[in-house]
This record gives sequence, structure tokens and C-alpha cells, in this order.
Amino acid sequence: MGARRYLTAKVVQALFTLAFVLVFNFFLFRILPGNPAQILARQRRLPVEAVRELERDFGLKDPLPQQFVNYAGDTLRANFGISFKFRRPVGEVIQGRIWPTVLLVGVATIGSTVIGLLIGIYGAWRRGSGFDMGSLGFSLVTYAMPEFWLGMILLILFASTSGLELFPLGNIRTPGGPASGIAHLLDVGRHLFLPALTLILALLGEYALIMRSSLLDVMGDDYIVTARAKGLREAQVLRRHAVPNALLPTVTLVALNLGFVVSGAITVETVFSWPGLGLLTVEALQAPDYPLLQGLFLLFSVAVIVANLIADLIYGYLDPRVRVA
Amino acid sequence: MAGLIILGFFLIVALAAPLLADSRGLSPVGATGGVLDPPSLDYPMGTDDLGRSVLTLTIWGSRISLMVGFFATALSMVIGAVIGIAAGYYGGWRETAMMRFTDWFLVIPFLPLAIVLASILGRSLFNIILVIGITSWPGTARLVRAQTLSVKERPYVERARALGAGDWHLITRHILPNVFPLIFANTILVVAIAILSETTLSFLGLGDPLRISWGTILEFAFNGGAASRGAWWWLLPPGVAIVLVVLAFTMCGYALDEILNPRLRRR
Amino acid sequence: MSRWRSLVAAGAAAATIAGLTFGGAAAQTPSPSGSAAGKLTFTIGDDNDLDSMNPFVAVEAPAFQIFFLTYDFLVNLSQEDLSPSPGLAESWDQSDDGLTWTFQIRDDATWHDGQPVTAHDVEYTYNRILEEEQGSFIDYISLIDTIEVPDDQTVVITTKEPTLQLLTALVFILPEHIWKDISTEEAGTFENNPPVGSGPFKVVEWEKGQFYRMESVPEYWGGAPRIDEFVYRIFNNEDALVQALRAGEVDFADSLNANPFNSLKETTGITTHEANIPSFDEIGFNVGANDTIPDADGHPALLDVRVRQAMAHAVDKQVILDRVLQGYGTIGTTIVPPFSAAYHYEPAEEDLFQFDLEEANRILDEAGYEDTDGDDVREMPDGGEPLRFRYFVRSENNSTVQTSQFVQDWFNQIGIATEVEALDDTTLTDAIFEGKYDMFHWGWFPDPDPDFILSIFTCGQRPPDGIWSDSFYCDEEYDRMYQEQKTVADVAERAQVIFEMQKKVYEDAPYIVLYYDANLQAYRSDRWTGFLNQPEPDGDLLSGYGNYTFVNLRPVTKGAAADEEEGGSAFTWVWVGLVAGPLLLVAVALLIRRRKGEEDRA
Repeated sequence: MGARRYLTAKVVQALFTLAFVLVFNFFLFRILPGNPAQILARQRRLPVEAVRELERDFGLKDPLPQQFVNYAGDTLRANFGISFKFRRPVGEVIQGRIWPTVLLVGVATIGSTVIGLLIGIYGAWRRGSGFDMGSLGFSLVTYAMPEFWLGMILLILFASTSGLELFPLGNIRTPGGPASGIAHLLDVGRHLFLPALTLILALLGEYALIMRSSLLDVMGDDYIVTARAKGLREAQVLRRHAVPNALLPTVTLVALNLGFVVSGAITVETVFSWPGLGLLTVEALQAPDYPLLQGLFLLFSVAVIVANLIADLIYGYLDPRVRVA
Repeated sequence: MAGLIILGFFLIVALAAPLLADSRGLSPVGATGGVLDPPSLDYPMGTDDLGRSVLTLTIWGSRISLMVGFFATALSMVIGAVIGIAAGYYGGWRETAMMRFTDWFLVIPFLPLAIVLASILGRSLFNIILVIGITSWPGTARLVRAQTLSVKERPYVERARALGAGDWHLITRHILPNVFPLIFANTILVVAIAILSETTLSFLGLGDPLRISWGTILEFAFNGGAASRGAWWWLLPPGVAIVLVVLAFTMCGYALDEILNPRLRRR
Repeated sequence: MSRWRSLVAAGAAAATIAGLTFGGAAAQTPSPSGSAAGKLTFTIGDDNDLDSMNPFVAVEAPAFQIFFLTYDFLVNLSQEDLSPSPGLAESWDQSDDGLTWTFQIRDDATWHDGQPVTAHDVEYTYNRILEEEQGSFIDYISLIDTIEVPDDQTVVITTKEPTLQLLTALVFILPEHIWKDISTEEAGTFENNPPVGSGPFKVVEWEKGQFYRMESVPEYWGGAPRIDEFVYRIFNNEDALVQALRAGEVDFADSLNANPFNSLKETTGITTHEANIPSFDEIGFNVGANDTIPDADGHPALLDVRVRQAMAHAVDKQVILDRVLQGYGTIGTTIVPPFSAAYHYEPAEEDLFQFDLEEANRILDEAGYEDTDGDDVREMPDGGEPLRFRYFVRSENNSTVQTSQFVQDWFNQIGIATEVEALDDTTLTDAIFEGKYDMFHWGWFPDPDPDFILSIFTCGQRPPDGIWSDSFYCDEEYDRMYQEQKTVADVAERAQVIFEMQKKVYEDAPYIVLYYDANLQAYRSDRWTGFLNQPEPDGDLLSGYGNYTFVNLRPVTKGAAADEEEGGSAFTWVWVGLVAGPLLLVAVALLIRRRKGEEDRA
């Protein structure tokens, strides 16, 4: 398959997935109990006429296909409706919360990938050693841990008065504190440390395991044996041949894993009052704020689809079989 | 091995819950302890804010947590197996359609989907099982399909087909028995995920607060100020139980994986 | 306020935390660009996010915190006893026929943008609410007939009937020159950030989902606040807030749960306070939804007042108070909380439904509800349907879940089975609105003036035409008294009518009022002084119904800010650097290698 065809196929596939999510999202929120307009009115003491007006606004009286056309059009124009809770356009509400999550998920992903890979490589290289066994055990335990529970434990240990009080208890920065410059960055970093650490710990076990097993796989391959036979030192074999090839599945996994990271971010943000999309999701859930939930769900889905596409493209780029053939 | 022992332990605890702890201890009416008493001889794991023994809660919580884990997994397995076998067996456009559908489900991020579903369906144990079941099947479906494809081509299946065996006969007599071990191995990993999912959903307040599971105990502890009161005994037992059980399932899963995937055992 | 029901719902039991922080936060971090050192700053923490700064749409408590400090009422509620006291109106006068009110607007009030506050702003605000039927405010001023403004400092209002309503109207006066440009349609999504008001503080910064910051307005007509600014922080976890209070990062925690509150009691430097607030929790019954909703499906036994009275005998409120609220609050009786001291009716000892399971059983036996099939559940007198009630509790509020376990047990002992189900507020509201429920546990946070809470038992409030009735109670005599109390201008006389109304509802038992809960507050008394209860002697320390505490609050000593955090910060960063630095280097090295390897192969 040529590179272009591969690329096209993947992009088309992603577009189809997007379309599916769009349709799915539409129907998901049409099977809601009750009538959104009525729910909204109940919370605000609106007279009956106003409820009817709201129904018109929501287009709930239209036939279903018409509703879908309106919905699809609105979505493509990035018009996700008005948040029940915040009474502002959903897009705007979400926009205000994107960056904290990007920061948290970004740092956690980079941190867990780098540390996880290193642990995995070293574990595979020294297979059966104390380090290998220890890291394997550690990886399994953190994988088995609900990340919010880990977060609560870390919070008690490192931030609470009964613990070490090294870090703040929550939020992204000190209110009234520096809003720009180095001091601001340091402030945000201090707040970021525990939630990011929680996510990193929760994720790195899996990466270490994958790296380890994929490296073990590769190290039995013929060309590694050949490389060894050529008289390369073990470290060189590892660095120049085994690791680069074993990286492939792991890097792909990192991108594929975004959905999982997002899930982790939801609970971790809740524990640490990190004002990102995860916390917003929980707020929307508690309201419940269906337009906002719908918008968030769509956004998360799109992010994951795009990440998958990127993973496919990286895979295509890195895997010589796809690239060259 | 250790995994099996842990699993056995928790299964026995769950089954023998009525013998180990009086179920009256689950209701605040029957609770006898003080408010947030630290561990003592009477209450080996202390009490919660309603004077209930945390040990009793954790013991009974194992029932709900494991039950949700098993039922959700069963549901997920059934969906996954049906779609996987159907896609693999029939092939053609049906396979393409079903696998595309599976792929779509695979990319939708689990927790946001579960949150949305649970908030729409309402909060109950049944809905939690349903939500976990319908969000965790795609992996199984893919695995099963791959296995079905390879089984389908085996000579004796071909022979049976040549002898005029119907689809139903082929699937139930030849495909399913051969795919089953794989489904089973996969099940073990899915149970671990299902139990973790139950915990997460309950923690977010989507569980049934009237049914004590490890997740709801953690939710109560989180919202009830366990940490500020220094009530570590309220937070640790259910958390440790979750970690142990999930760990045990994962270890068993990996053990099976090593058996099924001999390549790893080369050296 | 009544509209808080849907949000804070059930009032204080909700785990809302508000905290006031000492300016420490700002001072603790080295800040080349931040706020100037020595500034006196509060930070209020909450586990509830702000929804909007637009008073026409906001419902969450943090938003009202802003409104109380940003805006003024025409007539304030006094700090001591909530009696009418000068607000934007420095004086007022009621005509002899009781229909015409003349308010003198003070001339020293200005909007935050420098414009003077005039009588036209009052006129504009009231007219807009009346014209647009602004749901949250219109009930306060519904009796207004005409509004006239003879000059900039005078408002003359006539009412359709004599009423005291205008003196207890909790309506924030808005600036005409800002709002006149906002159309009715736009008002629904108008951000109003920052809000321009006439109060002692103004919003200067709002980081959504994190905090908002307000600065004091030295020109405030009521006197300049003694603090420079305060910040309202949003946490998502009560534990974190309590820890923050302990660490001195937060100096006031509001609406605490009993557990964290207890844990703070022994802490030095922290004072705890059980604030008296107008709030109660009830078990409500569906006493006749079929009258207005044909397909409602409430249990027929609940139409029988004797069944409800028997159940009232079967609830040990003291146990619920002690075990669920851990003793914080008082036993509930009638629908007007003791907070509204002048209007609260407490039934005489012999009229109370005492906890007495034998009596409850006797009443049910006598009324013909017997267990005919031996399953320990009574059946209807005609031997048909068993007394098995759906009992809805709120999944958002754990107290209701816990209470249900006690109540279920007691009801079992009188042969009444209950199926407890935890619903989210929206689903529960739906069930009630459609009349598809038997009993539920919820709560109210009524206004100091009892008018609103009394109104919810009037026939007109029953869905689908009405909105607020959740028991479908309807009684002609009650409705007549409700109209009567609206127009009685003498407090004592009005109280008599209101006593009768409460007595009636208590006896007819559409509600079992379980308890009046307290608002549990804790603050750093080692740092701050000047908190004012509203009302005295044990009311809310923050903003009950005004800005008194915020204007009066001052530090005990100056410069109490600790710099312990700084050390932590430096330490942290050394740590992070030590770990992350090498890792990054290795990662980069690996990547470079990888590229090289690729070239080698190519």
C-alpha cells in the first residue's frame, strides 16, 4: 500500500468515525428523561409561556430529521447551545477550561512516557533482576489503583496538615498571586505537581510493561542476533537496534491511550480542584447540564479520534513496511 | 498463583459475608459504634461517620463490587463474542460493518461515555452494570473475530461445512469451543477493568448510594471529610481491597497471557 | 432565599464550603508582578462553582455572595434582627390607606463607574422585573401597581393592596444606564462581567472554575470596608478546604458537614459557629396529585390524613438529628422555621406527633388498614393494594440517604413498606412535577419573611399550572388565610393568621418536617475579628442577607502572613528539577539515537 493511499484511508476512516460520533451524540441526548426546556424552567420559576418559548428555542417541537439537520449544522458551526448552568454558549464555557487540562494531560503524558519507557527498557535489559521484578510489581500495583484514590492518598501525604504540607491543596494557581512572568509559572508548577504526579504514576506502569514486553519481543529477532554476532556490545545493540524498533508499539500506545488519560483527568481534576475540562464534566454532571455534557462528550471524542489518527500516521511514518512498501 | 489465592480469598469473603459480619451493621439503624472511631478490638478497621464498622462495609462491599464486575463482564463478553464471532464467521460486508462499528466504539473515550450514559439512565446498580457492559466490549469483539477467522479456516471446520453443517451448528460446535478459551482469558482482564470502572463511577456519584460497594465507601469517605478528620481507616480498607482484587485479576490475566503467547517464554 | 432551593436545595446539609482567606496567599508567594505587599485580602473558598454574574439567571450561592457585595437593596434587612433598615432608600413612608409608599433615595450612593444612583434606577429595575416577569424576583414585588419618580431622589410606589411586601423585597437594584442596552433576549445570556453595582465591593477578576476577586470601594455610602479585597476560591473537595483552613491558607469555612466541623473544634486559633439559618428538611407526601394531573399515580393511602399522621408518629426526629446531623440543628415541627422568630409556630406539647410506634399502629388499625395476607405489610381497607410506598431520596445529598434507612426501619414496624430510591434532583423534580411519587425527602431554604414558604401549600401552586407545590396539598381555608396574611399590615395580627396556617399544615401532615439544620461555620479567630451575626445573637457570620461582616471585618494583628510556603516552593522546584531534568535529557538523547538508527538502516 502506498504512503498516500495509507494516509488517505486513515483520514477517511477518521472522518467516518467523526460522523458516527456526531450521530451517536445526537441520539444519546434525545433519549433523555424529561424535556430539557421543562427541566430548565423548573429551576428558574418560569411561567408556562416562557417554557413554550424555550421549547421553540431548543427546536424540540420539530420532527426528528429536522432536529438532526439543525443539530448537525449547529455543531459544524461550533454552536453547541447554551449551557443550562452557566447560561453562556457551551463553546465559550469549554474554551475557558481547555488549557488547564491540556497542561495536565500534556505533562502527565510526557512524564509517564519518558519514565515508563526508561523503566521498561532497563527492566527488559536486566530481565529477572531485582529492578525488573520491583518495577514490574510497581507497574502492576499502580495499574490496579483507582487514580483518584492514589490522588487522595498523595493529597493527605504531601499537602495536608497531617502530612508534609509541601504542596498546595488544590486549584491551578494562588488567587491574587502573580499572574504573569516566572513567578506565575513557578506558582502553576507547584499546583500542577501533585495532580500530574498522580496521573504519571497511574500511567507509567502500563507504558513500562508495554515497552518491556515489546523490547523482549524485538530482542529475539534475527537482526538483533545478527547485530550481536557482528560483535556489537550489548548496550549498543540495545540502543541502536532494539530500542528504536521496540519504541514503535509504545509510541502508538501513547497516542491511543489518550481516551484513558482523559478519563483519569476527570477524577484527578476532581480530587485536586484542577479547573479543567474534567472538573467541568463533573460540574455538568451534577447540575445536570446536558448541553454542556454533550459538548464535552463531543470534544473528548474528537480529541481521541484525532489522537488515533496521529498514532496511525506516526505508525505509518515509522514502520518501514508501511512507509516503503 | 498469588493472584489466584487473593481472588479465592475475596470470593470467599464475598460469599461468606453473612457469616463474617451482621448485615444489620450496614444500616445506620443497626450501627453500634461511635462516630469515626479509630480501629480497635471491637472495630478492627474503625467506624465511619454513622458509626458503622468499616470492616463490615468492606466485607459487604466486596459483594456488590465483585457482582458488578462479573455481571458487567458477562454482558461485555456476550456482546463482544456475538459481534466478534458473527463478523469473523460471516465475513464480507457484514464483517466490515460490524468491525467498523466496533472501531467506532473503541475510540469513544470510556469515562465520558459512561458518565453521559449513567446520567441519562439514572443512578442504579443495574444501570452501572449496563453502562460498563456496553462500554467495554469492543476489545473482546476484535480478539474474538481474529480467533474466529483462524478457526474458520481449519480443516475440520471446512470438512464439517462440506458435509453440509449449518451456520448454527458450525458456530456452536466448532467455532465457539475454540474461541471460548480466548474469551475466558480476556474475561479475566475485563473483570479487573469493570471493577475499577464501578469504583470510578461510584466515586463520581453515579452509583446507587443505597448499595454499599467499595466505590461508594470511597465516595462517602471523600465527601464525608475522611482526610480532614485523619480517618485513614475509612479510606484505606476499600482502596486496598480494590487494588488487591484488580491486581489479582491482572496477574491471572497476564499468567494466562504468557501461556497463550509462548513467544514471551523463549528465554 | 426561596430560589436557593433548586441549587443549594435542602440548604445547609449541602456540602458547600466558603472560606475567607487571609491575604497570606498573595503575600506568601514572591510576587514581582502581583498585588502589592501589605494588601489586606480575603479569599473565600467554596466547593460550588459560580454559574453567572447576571442576577437574572444566576442561582448558585457563590453568585449571590457577589450580588450581596456588589448591589444594594432598596431597603436593607438590619444586621441585628432583619428588620427593615435604610438601604438605597434612607427613609420611607406609607400612606394612611396603606397603598402608597414614598421612598427617599440617598444622594451619596454612586455606581462603580462613577454615575450617581437615582430614583430612576429603582424604577427601571422594578419595572423591568414586572414587565419581563423575571421569575426569581417578581414574587417580591408582585403587588406593585404603579411606580412614579417625581425627582431624582424620590420613588412613589402604589400597590394593589396594602402590604409590607416592599420592605422585605430582596431585589438587587441595577443601574439603568448599563441594563437598558440589554434586550430581553440578551438578558438570558448576558455575562455582566464585571457587574456594575453600588455596593462596597466590585469584581476585578474572574478566572472561571478557579476564583473571583473583588476590591473594596472606599466611596461606599455605608463607609469604606476595612479590607482591601477578597477572593472567592473554588475547591472541589471539603477535605481540601478544611486543610486549607487549618494551614491558614483559608480563614473561613462555611456550610461545613458535621465531620469536618467536629474536626475543627479542637484546633487552636479556629473558632466554630453553628449559625441559625432559615432551613429545614422534610419528608413530603403525594396527597392528591390526581386532582390536577390525571395520570399521576400516588398511593391512595396517602390521601388519608390518618395514614400520614400515623407515619408522623413513627419518625423519631431526635434520632435523626443525633445520628444523621450529629446533633447540629433542632427538631423540626412546622413549615416556618424558628429563624423567623416572629412568625414561627411551635405546637403545644400535647398537639405534637410524639414518636410512638404503638400509637401509630393503633391509628392504622383503627382506620382499617390491616395486614390481611400475613406479609407484615398492611393493605388498604378494601383488602387490595398493600401500603408499599416509593420513597425518593436525593443522590446528591447523603443525609437524605442516611435518614431513609432509619425511616424505612420505623415504617416497617408499623406495617408500611417503603422502596427507597436515590434520584438526582432533576429526576426527582420531574417525578414530583408529574405526580409520580409517594414520598420524598427534600428541604427548603425559605426567606426570612414567611410569605413564600406559606405559598407553596396553596392550591394555585400545584403543577402543572403552578410550580412550587411538591405535596399537591390544597385546602380552601388555608388559601383564604394565605391571602389574608399578605394584606395584614400589623406584624402581631399577621402572625396570628400565620400561626393558624402552620398549625393546619402540621395537623394535615403533607410534610413531616424533620429538622431545622444549622449552618456550620469555622474561621481563623486568631487572625480576624469583626464578624457580625445576622441576625443576632447566633445568625450567619458571613452574608446572611447583607454585607455587614464584609464591611466591618478587620485583622487581629497586622502582617500575620507566614512565609513558610516560600521554603516549600523552592524545595519543590529543586526536587522537580532533579527528577525531570535528567529524564528529559535521556529522552532527547534517545530520540536522536533513534533518528540515527533510522538513517543507518535507510
